[in-house]
Amino acid sequence: MFNSFRMSMGWVHTWLGLVLGFVLMICFFFGALSVFDREIDRWAIPDTRFEPQPMPSFDEVLKPVFDELKPHPTDMAATQQRVIGDLPDPDTMPLKSLYAYTTHRDPVLRIGGEFGIPNEPKDPADDHLHVHGWATVNPTTGETLSDSALKIGSDWFYPMHFNLHLRWNMLGYWIVGVAALVLLAALVTGVIIHRKLFREFFTFRPWKHVLRSSLDLHNVTGVVALPFHFFFAFTALVIFATNIYLPLSHTTLKPLHEQHEKLEAERTGLPHEESGEAAPLASVDAMVAEAKRRWAERDMPGEVGYLFMDHIGDENSYVSIYRAGSDRVALVGEGIHFKASTGEVIREEPPRSVVASIDEFLTGLHLQHFEHWMLRWLYVFGGLLGAICIATGFILFVEKRKARHAKAGSQGSRIVDAMAVTTVTGMVIAAVSMLVANRILPADLAGKGQWEQTVFWWAWGLAFLHAAWRSSPVAKARVNPAWREQSWVLAALSLLAVVMNWVTTGDHLIKTLFTDTYWAVAGVDLSLIATALIAMLVARKLGAKATETVKPKRGKSAQHNKQVNAYD
Amino acid sequence: MIEAGWLIAAVVSTMLSMGWFALCYQSHWKQVFPGHAGGPNTFLLKLLGRGFLLLSAVCCLAADHPSMAALVWIMLLAVAAMTVAMLLSRRPQWLRLICPSFFADKG
Repeated sequence: MFNSFRMSMGWVHTWLGLVLGFVLMICFFFGALSVFDREIDRWAIPDTRFEPQPMPSFDEVLKPVFDELKPHPTDMAATQQRVIGDLPDPDTMPLKSLYAYTTHRDPVLRIGGEFGIPNEPKDPADDHLHVHGWATVNPTTGETLSDSALKIGSDWFYPMHFNLHLRWNMLGYWIVGVAALVLLAALVTGVIIHRKLFREFFTFRPWKHVLRSSLDLHNVTGVVALPFHFFFAFTALVIFATNIYLPLSHTTLKPLHEQHEKLEAERTGLPHEESGEAAPLASVDAMVAEAKRRWAERDMPGEVGYLFMDHIGDENSYVSIYRAGSDRVALVGEGIHFKASTGEVIREEPPRSVVASIDEFLTGLHLQHFEHWMLRWLYVFGGLLGAICIATGFILFVEKRKARHAKAGSQGSRIVDAMAVTTVTGMVIAAVSMLVANRILPADLAGKGQWEQTVFWWAWGLAFLHAAWRSSPVAKARVNPAWREQSWVLAALSLLAVVMNWVTTGDHLIKTLFTDTYWAVAGVDLSLIATALIAMLVARKLGAKATETVKPKRGKSAQHNKQVNAYD
Repeated sequence: MIEAGWLIAAVVSTMLSMGWFALCYQSHWKQVFPGHAGGPNTFLLKLLGRGFLLLSAVCCLAADHPSMAALVWIMLLAVAAMTVAMLLSRRPQWLRLICPSFFADKG
């Protein structure tokens, strides 16, 4: 079928990259945004624009909040589907376990808990039946903040990059998983295609024909960030491997699940079941102080990242306190567990094994909870390089074939080009439109978050229709004007978002940068302005090119032709 | 503050290192010195490139926990390589700043 192994690898690289490239664009772009998801949340929810706080006092601030916590109506409805008979009144459900979670970037605290119910499950295998409740808390006052506002960064952009918001049968997770696997294959085949890997580290010739210059940019962005692309594709698979892709513990080993939990409880000394005897709660603040003292003794002083309490109100209740992993790649850890009724230490987790440390490192490097602003920006850079690599791959595909397709009357290039416009400029337009909608829609609008999501999907859908409608020149071997037009739209929307933030909150850049510095909002505004400037520059360049007479150029060297043909 | 100093040193040394590695190639050397008759002194440039690459790794390790330093260093390589590629495409003459005349092979 092919003349050489390299040619066959070129075929794999091209076609797998094209088919899953559209998904990978979403993963890279929204993954890059997710690095600053909490900051985007602050921009989108002005009521939460205050400085990040460490975990507040449990005894004074959090306990009253948990006393008021109720089962969430959404989870009530979901649980009702799984049980026999009506659920009891939510006010009568006892809180069985609770958690509080924060990071160095969170001004607000996420809390939640599980409420016990007496109902039997419809499916006997459906164990651990609870109704969940959750809330967002201002840790300085203990005031519960409205949870109706959509956290655009952490609840929309972030999940988009790993599940595409396709939750039916976890379809989105599977599509992204296949895309990650394909990315690994594309990286390996890409390396095989490019024999002069190191020379391409520094080669970008924008003055050459678009086919050559886009191949240069595709190579350079693929090669310089090769370790980043590889590690992120690999760790994405590692993170979901045990829960979703190879869920042995939920399938083959499920019959042993209960027994495993009991053995684990015996090993750790953390009770698996309630004793049935009521017991009061000792001071959790004292337990936190003891945990901090022990971390400092191990030469790793730190703050609490995660607090968990199980079997609340029972003699067997225990409190688990985990250290925030702000200063290292690993996530929360170094857990210390206390008997809730007395405050005595039940267990201090030993140092991790080598395997557990590697797992923590791989997971942590992807989820990046660390407090290292430079590395966070380097991650954004890596993510955008990935997006550029794929976008130039699309351009390369179209440019290589459009003249041939035009001659043969094929619509192939036209379709790919329209899809490329939709997943490059169209996707960014959708994201920025959502931010504009967030600032234009009134804060007290019922279902505001739902409206924002609708705007996102509509903006993206319209971008697709526009790209498809304007794509007819591609079938005649010319450039799709939708690239230029959507770049102008993107520039306008990005500037509008900055202006609307100023108008609706009073937080303009002079204030957030100089007079009342608040980097989370300033950073989002500056990024929007940078997006607008780049989009304008691109639109102007494309406009200038459109007026030029396009003359097809032949590659000068045999090597040039060979390399380009490797993508055929 | 000291950490920031180490990180700035790491950025500078990675940039220098990648600049020298790029200049080892005849094609990039010609971009930077279009009228120059000779070629690059590849031995010296590679030596400097490797030395400063090592130095940048040391700076990263001085600034952060080793697990974090490894990530910073790898990502800095990408940024530096991309920056040098962009300089070569737009402002190649700027790379003369890191390449005095004795870096050239007399050829």
